[in-house]
Amino acid sequence: MEEKKAKPAAAEPKATGENPYTQWYEVKKGDTLWKIAKERYGDGSLYPEIFKANQDILSDPDKIKVGQKLRIP
Amino acid sequence: MKPRSIFTGFLSMALAALMLVGCANQMEPAKKAINDIEAAIAAAGPDAAQYIPDQLQAVNSQVVDLKAKFDQKDYKGVIAAAPAVLAQAQGLAGAASSAKQAAEAARAAALEAMNAEWTTLSGTLPAAIAAIESRVNILSKSKKLPANLDAATFESMKTGLADAKTLWDQATAAQASGNVEAAVTAARQVKEKTDAALTALGMTAG
Repeated sequence: MEEKKAKPAAAEPKATGENPYTQWYEVKKGDTLWKIAKERYGDGSLYPEIFKANQDILSDPDKIKVGQKLRIP
Repeated sequence: MKPRSIFTGFLSMALAALMLVGCANQMEPAKKAINDIEAAIAAAGPDAAQYIPDQLQAVNSQVVDLKAKFDQKDYKGVIAAAPAVLAQAQGLAGAASSAKQAAEAARAAALEAMNAEWTTLSGTLPAAIAAIESRVNILSKSKKLPANLDAATFESMKTGLADAKTLWDQATAAQASGNVEAAVTAARQVKEKTDAALTALGMTAG
């Protein structure tokens, strides 16, 4: 997968029914799901876990945008 | 025997007889006084023993003293001391009732506080457990743990998570059976474990 660029943590969106312990990450320039998974899980290959948790806002794991707030399950 | 000696002897006997009669006359009132006190103590019922044990003990001690006086035929002493003891004994029922009401109010307040605590804990702990479990499951698939988490801490966290889930099952079962105190006690333990896991994982509530 092509690594996309992203940004550090951020304020989490408040969604109805959202688990209050859900962790959020705001995409920065240079971030990719792989990179975020590597940082949070120690293993970039686990990026699909992040993608699955954000399918309401992501349609393609390779397409994340700066400023997007992603759930980190 | 001189007439004077006869008279003195007679007088002594008469006085002794009078004293005996006097004592006998006081025996029944003394006995009744003790019985009245014991009846007042009995009327206070088991609540006195449960809610004002010291006060009850103090009255019972005085009854023991009165009975000792009675056994020594000090009926006058019994009759003199009995009214004060009777007043104390008659006060036991009211004091026990007040103490019982206060204890029940305190128990109700404690129960209300525990129900409120349960509401808070039951509203957050399942979510905390789910979030931790999700992260632990993902990290279990990881070829390498993240830099801020060592293997020993992760293993300890997995054990803590399993314990937390077991305790949470116990808490919900206790709550379902109406034992809020046991439910809250177990839930507090769950919170300790989930808080430790959340800290170790660097996770916070939103």
